[in-house]
Amino acid sequence: MIEHQPRSNWAITFSVWRALVLREAVSRITSSRIALVWLFLEPIAHFAFMIMLMTLIRSRVIGGIDTSLWLIVGLMSFFMFKRVGAQTKNAIKTNAPLFSYRQVLPVDTILSRAFLEGALGIMITIILGIGVALFGVEISPDDPLMVMAAFFGLWLMGLGYGLVISVIAELLPEISKILDMVMTPIYMLSGVLLPIASVPMPYREWVLLNPLAHGVEASRLGVSGFYHAVPELDLTYLYKFAVCLIFFGLLLQRRFRLTLVAK
Amino acid sequence: MIIVNDVHKRYMTDHGPGRWVLKGVDFVIPPKVSVGLIGGNGAGKSTLLRLIGGTDQPNKGNVERLCRVSWPMGLAPGFQGSLTGRQNVKFVCRIHGHEHDIEDRIEFVKAFAEIGEAFEEPINTYSSGMKSRLVFGLSMAFDFDVYISDEVTSAGDAAFKQKASNAFKNLADHSSLIMVSHGEGILRQFCSAGIWLYQGKAHWFDDLEDALKAYKDTLPK
Repeated sequence: MIEHQPRSNWAITFSVWRALVLREAVSRITSSRIALVWLFLEPIAHFAFMIMLMTLIRSRVIGGIDTSLWLIVGLMSFFMFKRVGAQTKNAIKTNAPLFSYRQVLPVDTILSRAFLEGALGIMITIILGIGVALFGVEISPDDPLMVMAAFFGLWLMGLGYGLVISVIAELLPEISKILDMVMTPIYMLSGVLLPIASVPMPYREWVLLNPLAHGVEASRLGVSGFYHAVPELDLTYLYKFAVCLIFFGLLLQRRFRLTLVAK
Repeated sequence: MIIVNDVHKRYMTDHGPGRWVLKGVDFVIPPKVSVGLIGGNGAGKSTLLRLIGGTDQPNKGNVERLCRVSWPMGLAPGFQGSLTGRQNVKFVCRIHGHEHDIEDRIEFVKAFAEIGEAFEEPINTYSSGMKSRLVFGLSMAFDFDVYISDEVTSAGDAAFKQKASNAFKNLADHSSLIMVSHGEGILRQFCSAGIWLYQGKAHWFDDLEDALKAYKDTLPK
């Protein structure tokens, strides 16, 4: 005896996603007076410091391309993963009050944050890319499709990481502290600051087990066809890894959906 | 109609599962019947409301909602302090699927809450009275069949209380209430039936007076 026609599950989910994305976007940009400026200032400060460091003490050329180009593309692609991962990690905790509306599920907050962060990441990348080009760095991609594929793959990795880690952060906060510590070496091992091609052979294979390294290298190869990427580069590995991670993450979200909401 | 089926609930504490707040609660709320929830502090009234509203899940048993049920109307449901009243209202309209008539709903809430210019200010500048005006106006903006009210009318000044109570009375034509209150007057005004929560069990009374009497009989003389 149903007394009214309920909305379909998809209709509810879509309206929740839409509402969450718009809400997150507004609060992300207006949370502090310089929030919008900071979105750009953070990567710029990162670029400036690393470029200064690398070009002063290392070489002007890495893998056949300009060091600053090598660094900027590497950092931008890695940020696609890092921003999404960092923002989705706390999505459940910060949005906990919203679960007083039964339409909102924990997984919704993560998907909408990942979407928003991805959109912001693309905007920032394009704007900074234009800015860098004005400074005379030759950044127009030789193979735009490969750059997009690499960035999208890294975004998927960020989403998968967020889906898994947000559950762990809620249910096993002790473990999530350890995972935070693991993140710094992963930054180092993804080939953002150290050229993987210069790692000697038995160890290079180990470094390349990290799917992020493939995404970062592929972005550079896509930007400059002259770049000497590691020969073992395999973008499908990044995608396979990301899809498995997302599947596992969704599984956790489904399994613990009640535990995550219950007080 | 709401069917509550053998609901058990306990909360996790820092040292394992706590005591059973609800152990085997069974009842059916028929359509168009307003119910008052009665019981001492800690009897599980708010817990039961949250379970009925679907914002918390029972450890065992289930709740079937065969009609549109509001969220538990209490203080500040998931408002983001840094966003304005308007932005928060927009969010709630969106998740309830009112994208197409969102402007009308917002105007309704603004008019009902009567908080003036503050509607465009961030929520964390609001006083608690202003917040409860906004919360109440918000829940009146949707056509629910059942409204869940957890001491909603307790905050706010006299003028607003009057307005809220009139609004509740108008609701009575086409929808019903599930209400927690320690004010017997309010319960008598709006509810016909009563549920008395005692020692983790729920007892249904067709007449609110019987429920109040049963509750009072257990109080220490």
